[in-house]
Amino acid sequence: MKALRPIGAVALAALFFFPVYVVVTGMLKPVKDIQSSPLGLPMPPTTANLGAVLGREDGLYWSALLNSVQITVLSVVALTLLSAMLAHYLVRSTARWTRPALLMLLSGLMIPPAVILQPITQVLGAVGLMNSVVGVVCANVAYYLPFGVFVFAGFIGGVPVEMEEAASIDGASRFRLFWQVVFPTLRPAAASVMIFLGVWVWNDFLTPLIVLGPESGTTVTVGVYRSVGEYSTNFGTLYAFSFLASLPVLLFFVALQKQFVAGLTAGAVK
Amino acid sequence: MRRSSSRSVREFAGFALPGLFLYGLLVLVPIGWTVVLGFTDRNRFAAATHWVGFDQFQRLFADDQFWLVLKNTFVVTAIVVVVPNALGLAIALLLNSNTLLYRLLRSVFFTPVILSGIVVSVIWQSMLRPGGVLDQVGWLSDPSIALYSISGIICWQMLGFCVVVYLAGLNGVPRELYEAAIVDGAGWWRRFGSITWPMIASAVTINTVMLLISGFKVYEHILVLTNGGPGRNTTASIAFDVIEKGVRGDRIGFAAAEATVMLAIIVALSGVVLRVLRRREVHL
Repeated sequence: MKALRPIGAVALAALFFFPVYVVVTGMLKPVKDIQSSPLGLPMPPTTANLGAVLGREDGLYWSALLNSVQITVLSVVALTLLSAMLAHYLVRSTARWTRPALLMLLSGLMIPPAVILQPITQVLGAVGLMNSVVGVVCANVAYYLPFGVFVFAGFIGGVPVEMEEAASIDGASRFRLFWQVVFPTLRPAAASVMIFLGVWVWNDFLTPLIVLGPESGTTVTVGVYRSVGEYSTNFGTLYAFSFLASLPVLLFFVALQKQFVAGLTAGAVK
Repeated sequence: MRRSSSRSVREFAGFALPGLFLYGLLVLVPIGWTVVLGFTDRNRFAAATHWVGFDQFQRLFADDQFWLVLKNTFVVTAIVVVVPNALGLAIALLLNSNTLLYRLLRSVFFTPVILSGIVVSVIWQSMLRPGGVLDQVGWLSDPSIALYSISGIICWQMLGFCVVVYLAGLNGVPRELYEAAIVDGAGWWRRFGSITWPMIASAVTINTVMLLISGFKVYEHILVLTNGGPGRNTTASIAFDVIEKGVRGDRIGFAAAEATVMLAIIVALSGVVLRVLRRREVHL
């Protein structure tokens, strides 16, 4: 009976992982083998599919990768700094309006992008940021700000205010106080904000599709969608593109996995 | 006095304003704009826009297709809220042990969470299409099945998130409670019902709200897997319809009315769910 548990768990996980197996083995097979033996191991494995994506004449993968990296890094850095400062201001301020402001921000967590996308394109168009990486970054920062504030506000609420008061008696300005005393203590919260938002922004589809538009290239996630029609039945290449689009975010996640679980635990137990 | 107020203005400008400004400009203003547009006949190809009162809403509520996409959205949301929640808890209980094997299996279940909806949909589409490796029935081509296939694929993607949140919740239950219960002769089900279930109330809240919000806004899975079909709107969601009509199409006023209704529903729904679940947490 005791031995059943690991066996059952492994069997369940193997069944669950089947689609990933199909993709990873499929991208290492010639196209005709994907049709004739979809379940077989790639013997011998070929890198032709990966090469076809990396070596596209229009360089789509590489230009999309550059866009994705720019958008993700800029969005995540801006979001971490802005939401940490805003959360700190709202939690520590004694003004009456900060409590409703915090609640209003948090209710933004549930707004579906579809509801606001059309006006967003109008606003970005009016300030000349449509079809640009900066436009996507601005839209991301606004949309994900509630999540950052939510995590930081919860964390700051648990940090004793005495430490900050002691430092402010020494005459430090609030800015120096924040960056030198407060922000370093927020590191665990910052880690989970960066991990969540890094994954979400990288995988975003609708905002880069519409805001970046066809003229300014794509992100890798949008690139996968675009190549669905293009490769139609060439699943080897489609699998390879999907894999290469997901690889950076998978590596990013594996590198930060420990902090992620720690951050999630802190949130869930509270 | 003057000095301290100028200082507080500086602090507001430095700390709060940049974030609030972007949020106002690119979230609050767009929400208001959507609501206003819903009362106009704005069309991408019409030169003039007119105030039409509740016309768009009347047209919306008289439209069979609207009720169809709304029903589809509720079906997907209901499945996505219930299935990964229940299975996630079961798998978390199964994997709740800190050995290397179980830690590895957690990563297996978590992998789809890190993938984009587009990639997940491309993978499943390749397996479920006619001639694909799992092509037994018309998974995506039979109108009576396709919506459930899409829901199932989203469940596959969200399951790992629930597993990890439940594992974190289980981790927070004091071991002594179980030891005491075992001494008192409580069986597995009794221990689960009296200790585990109440102690992981906040994990249930997190998962349910997260699933509710992601189920309700479903878009990209539908786009890749069925593009709203087979036939007319058999799998289209309300988000899909809003985007098709208002962003990719030309009926901006109509789509804005639909988006306003969508917003009202999700605000009401998450408000109710959050209140019910939170009450359960408080009563511990």
